Amino acid sequence: MISRVAGNCFWMHRYVERVENTARMLQVNGAFVLDVQLPDVQRWRPFLIVAGEEPRFNELFGAKKAQDGEVVQEYLTWDERCSSSILTSLRWARENARTIRETISLEMWESLNEAWLWMKEGSARKLYLRDRHTFYNRVKDICLLFNGICHNTILNAEPFDFMRLGMLLERAGQTARILDVKYHTFGREQAADETAGEVAQWLALLRSCAAFDPFLKLSRPLSGPSVAGFLILEDAFPRSVMHCLTRAGEFLERIDQGSHLSGERRALAKLNALIGYVKPLTIGKFLERGLHAELTRIIDATADVCGAVHADFFDPVFEGLGRGQTQTQTQSQTQTQGENAA
Amino acid sequence: MSRQPQSNGALFAGYKPLSDAYDEVFDSKAKPRPDCAGVVRMFDEIGKAEFRARQKIADHTFRKGGITFSVYADSKGVEKIFPFDLIPRTVPPKDWKHMQAGMAQRVRALNLFLADVYGDQRILAEGKIPRWLFEQSRGFIPEMRGVKPRFGVYVHVAGIDVIRQPDGELVVLEDNIRTPSGVSYVLANRMVMKRVYPTVFAEARVAPVDEYPMRLREALVATSPVQHAETHAVVLTPGAHNSAYFEHSFLARMMGCELVEGQDLFVHQDRVYVKTTRGPQRVDVIYKRIDDAFLDPEVFRKDSLLGVPGLVRAYAKGNVTLANAIGNGVGDDKAIYPFVPEMIRFYLSEEPILKQVETFICANEKELDHTLANIGKLVTKSVDESGGYGMVLGPAANKKQLADQAAKIKANPRGYIAQPLVELSTCPTWVGEKAAPRRVDYRPFIVTGKSSWVLPGGLTRVALTDGSYVVNSSQGGGSKDTWILEDAAR
Repeated sequence: MISRVAGNCFWMHRYVERVENTARMLQVNGAFVLDVQLPDVQRWRPFLIVAGEEPRFNELFGAKKAQDGEVVQEYLTWDERCSSSILTSLRWARENARTIRETISLEMWESLNEAWLWMKEGSARKLYLRDRHTFYNRVKDICLLFNGICHNTILNAEPFDFMRLGMLLERAGQTARILDVKYHTFGREQAADETAGEVAQWLALLRSCAAFDPFLKLSRPLSGPSVAGFLILEDAFPRSVMHCLTRAGEFLERIDQGSHLSGERRALAKLNALIGYVKPLTIGKFLERGLHAELTRIIDATADVCGAVHADFFDPVFEGLGRGQTQTQTQSQTQTQGENAA
Repeated sequence: MSRQPQSNGALFAGYKPLSDAYDEVFDSKAKPRPDCAGVVRMFDEIGKAEFRARQKIADHTFRKGGITFSVYADSKGVEKIFPFDLIPRTVPPKDWKHMQAGMAQRVRALNLFLADVYGDQRILAEGKIPRWLFEQSRGFIPEMRGVKPRFGVYVHVAGIDVIRQPDGELVVLEDNIRTPSGVSYVLANRMVMKRVYPTVFAEARVAPVDEYPMRLREALVATSPVQHAETHAVVLTPGAHNSAYFEHSFLARMMGCELVEGQDLFVHQDRVYVKTTRGPQRVDVIYKRIDDAFLDPEVFRKDSLLGVPGLVRAYAKGNVTLANAIGNGVGDDKAIYPFVPEMIRFYLSEEPILKQVETFICANEKELDHTLANIGKLVTKSVDESGGYGMVLGPAANKKQLADQAAKIKANPRGYIAQPLVELSTCPTWVGEKAAPRRVDYRPFIVTGKSSWVLPGGLTRVALTDGSYVVNSSQGGGSKDTWILEDAAR
């Protein structure tokens, strides 16, 4: 497939995934902060940090405003100056889809276009102000619907593989980021003497990853280590870091095998190295090395894989054949923002 | 949905055609024309309230489908729906047959003209068109002389604008043989109409339009430099910010072709390749929706980032088919247009089937004087712009607009022509509370590969503002579905 179009496929689904994760996090935290006594600054600021948005937020509103949940939610939901807000991500998901309408199914395009119109035309705003829980549910539904349409209306061929690859790499990074909220909230690594608030936050983090029921089904004790272990290593859970990386690896391998590009390709090797690093580890080892540091390592390595996918497939060099002009597009610049967020 | 109960009357109740224009549906006594009577009855039965409700469904369908054009050429570009009127424009079978034959004839002549002027230039040698006038055409690209497109096809796709005079005569207003646009709206309009009026369609005998993408694909493949089965055809777009992007993407999807941008292509040893995730792939046919000037920075505009360096070389070598051909602009130069009837006689030894509008060529001194003296009565147009740009309608313009246009014409007479203002025909159009006459034009599409095919339908554009003559989408025009009524006798 055309390299540029492959990039659009990858990013389109990545942005949809980002929308879903942001909606989940904001929704769950809205409930969490009602239950737990936390200093104001610890309630919402961690989300700005893990989204990589704190500097920009501070610049726009001043650091003090990070204590104001309404301002933070507004920023991460509606602000187009925020490169990972729901509205911005949805805009780029749709814009990527619009560029490749001939590649995706009509249903995929219409679902994203309708979602975008809903966000832009006032009724979403009204719902946000009146019933925030339902609003975020609607946003999640948009993403889940898109996922389902994607699975059921296009060929299981290369464009599909790039979509899944983008979605899975994004999800792996997002799950790692969500786990890292814990560190930024309490300012310390996981400890044996957890407060009630910390335990409540583990629960909230599970919910943020739609992992509450799946976690309970495995009937583990509710503790920091077991939650972190589940979200990182549980291969049977579709949002765990390990699950996402392994599946991403399968799609990337399929893409890579079909390629006759002559240049050296690095993405698959990098992804396999990351999988090879995470897989043998136990949660005990993670905690021993420091969860925050390990999560940061996963997030950075995932971003590095994405960069290598870009170099390998979206902007390849054809040896001995020269190449067309390489153009820097504002869109791809915007696309890559938020890549090294943590 | 708020309905106004008092107005659930027949749709066309009280409809009054204008006294000075031909109405496509009603005669001067406000009786439906015989061919249209069936359609009028069906729409009258729908009634006004129901009509309003269906218009909302149609609008929603366009918005949901993102069937839009962009107004500004940047990333913040506003996407707009091309306003759509749910009352179709009907074309009686007799008129259609006449136009169909006239279109095919015209495209044949234009194609032979291009082959001639980029070859031996017989028509100039024999003095049928003044050489000086021809050579000053910005659409003539001297580099293309001697370059022969596959099977001599220059005009793969033509959109020829036709209007109807008050006497009922259908005449050609202008030819578009570079990159005529609008066909996607023909197909989208029909799709929406079928959704909104399933019962009407079941009853009315309307010629289907959905063959178009297949026909276009066939024409592209038929003119390929390689075996048909191996032909790799693509659609080349300037990108997602182009105002006609929806159409580019729509046609690519409907033809099962890839949609590429200039940056996706490159030329190596005079062959065109597309960059793919599996390496470079040969491209044989390009349906180009980029202006010639931006096509290849090695030959045309050096600053073009939209084009493909080396593309013209590959084309000249015969390694790739471009549709339409490079250099067609000379054939739809509005100062060359007055000579199309002559072309038909010269190349085909036939009389033109369709008449055309009287035209004053400002490059001729006498005609320039006439134009300047009567600028307030005439329509003056730039010879190589489209979309209504560079056009001034004398009777509708103010003093300053006329003075500005006169100054432009004086500075560059070859760049302008003038025509009398034709009282365009009208068609009943929904204007909020009722149907009222609004002026329309008509753009049929002609596809040419091994032979020519005229799409039985076309784009009817309508000037939505009362009294307006300007139908361009960029200037407040809308569109209608065009129904070629099938012969009831058949």
